[in-house]
Amino acid sequence: MQFTILFAVLISTYLMVIAKRMPALIRAFRYQSFCLFLATFLMAIKQSEPDLYAVAALLFILKVIFIPQLLYRTVKKIKAKEDLGLFINPQLSLLWALGFTYLSWEFSTNFISQGNEVKAVMLTIAFFVVLAGIFLMVSRMTALAQIIGLLAMENGIFLLAAAVTGGMPFFVEIAIFFDVLVSVLIMGFFVYRINKFFTHIDVNKLSRLRG
Amino acid sequence: MIKISLIILQLLFFIGVAPLLSGLITKLKNNLRMRRGMSILQPYYNLIKLFAKGQVVSGTTSWIFKITPVVVISSALAAALLVPVFIFSTPLHFTGDFLALIFIFSLGRFFLALAALDTGSAFGGMGSSREMFISSLVEPALCLTVFSIFLQFGSTDISVFKSSTPISVSSIIGAIALFLVAIAETSRIPVDNQETHLELTMIHEAMVLEYSGGALALIELAAHIKQMIWFLLIAQIIFPVQAVDLSSPGGLFFWTGWQIARVLLIAGAVSLVEVSVAKMRLFRAIDFLGFVFVLGIIASICAILRV
Repeated sequence: MQFTILFAVLISTYLMVIAKRMPALIRAFRYQSFCLFLATFLMAIKQSEPDLYAVAALLFILKVIFIPQLLYRTVKKIKAKEDLGLFINPQLSLLWALGFTYLSWEFSTNFISQGNEVKAVMLTIAFFVVLAGIFLMVSRMTALAQIIGLLAMENGIFLLAAAVTGGMPFFVEIAIFFDVLVSVLIMGFFVYRINKFFTHIDVNKLSRLRG
Repeated sequence: MIKISLIILQLLFFIGVAPLLSGLITKLKNNLRMRRGMSILQPYYNLIKLFAKGQVVSGTTSWIFKITPVVVISSALAAALLVPVFIFSTPLHFTGDFLALIFIFSLGRFFLALAALDTGSAFGGMGSSREMFISSLVEPALCLTVFSIFLQFGSTDISVFKSSTPISVSSIIGAIALFLVAIAETSRIPVDNQETHLELTMIHEAMVLEYSGGALALIELAAHIKQMIWFLLIAQIIFPVQAVDLSSPGGLFFWTGWQIARVLLIAGAVSLVEVSVAKMRLFRAIDFLGFVFVLGIIASICAILRV
């Protein structure tokens, strides 16, 4: 069961990498967060800790419902629906992602968890999600896609923390959630402002000052 | 003697029931779109109509055009004998395994593409070029997925799929990949559209455009049979069944019911996908099938890790 959810995270991350349009990317992010929620919920049931239940509930409310909805609304508002500003096309991104998976597998088997296969798989997927988030931020040129890359990275770090320590302390978790929420709100507003000033959200073209 | 009668029974079963499955999917799709839709038996009416009609063959075609329908239908029927339906083992399992099945399908497709080129019409050439493009992407994905299944079951024989290991991550991912492959192979919506005759979108239909009458009926029947084979195979992998005693009426009843139920489930899933997804541009098929390829890789890795 645990493995199924982990591999579902992996597959949803691949979906994020090959997404070509904004709604598809947001939907893939939603799938990823949902898988993360399931994993946390499962862990909560297994360890029967009330803290983890609260974390899972927050994860569900914030990352599965609220943030994707906010992003959808921003997309609708600035009418930049189609374009992701692909710097690397989907097929090539997929190959990159495969390379990242291999890299994180090598890393986690050779350097961190020698011999422990279960832990190695968990770490691999967590590292891969982080790497994929960075990759999305680097290779997608619209500001919104970069925000989603950042959020994916955050998901990966959450997974990494769960893999290494079995969940961070409750208050740290809450603080991170709050951070993410505020940053998404601010960045969403930023994107809106950028769009209003420059009539596009292509970060590549933001090299000229404009009064 | 029992074996031969079983083979004949299975052939008759595929010929008799495969069009019904297509009709059912069409009906389901129409109902999902809030339309009444045509009768489930419509594919049979189509086939009867086509068999009754005369055939027009262009004077410029060679023998390839004439033998292609026969090759296509016989390859589909040969593949049908490599799938377990009535009993756990396949009737011809001594002759081939899953890989043989893939390449028997390829034979039919190869001849279809040749025949489409043979007529010299622009549509035929376009159709076969597209079909080969798609199949060159499908085949690696399919082979990888199949390898993951082989790794898991330790054999390439289709009849071992019954050996009831509990559902593993690798078999779930493999089944998803096979499902997507089957959508591409049976020319369904995200990749191809069976209902269209618009020149910009059709792939499979463009290849068979020059056929008429009985030849067209044979090719359509082959397509129905191919689809049925795919569904049965996916059903075998997604919903593995415990070995039941087939000599007792209870076991036989259970087996038949389960077989029908799982194929119906997959038909429902296919029609849901077809209704809810828009057709992709031709070159978006690369992304789609590339994703399936990655799923195949993941499934193989899971099989190696034994999770």
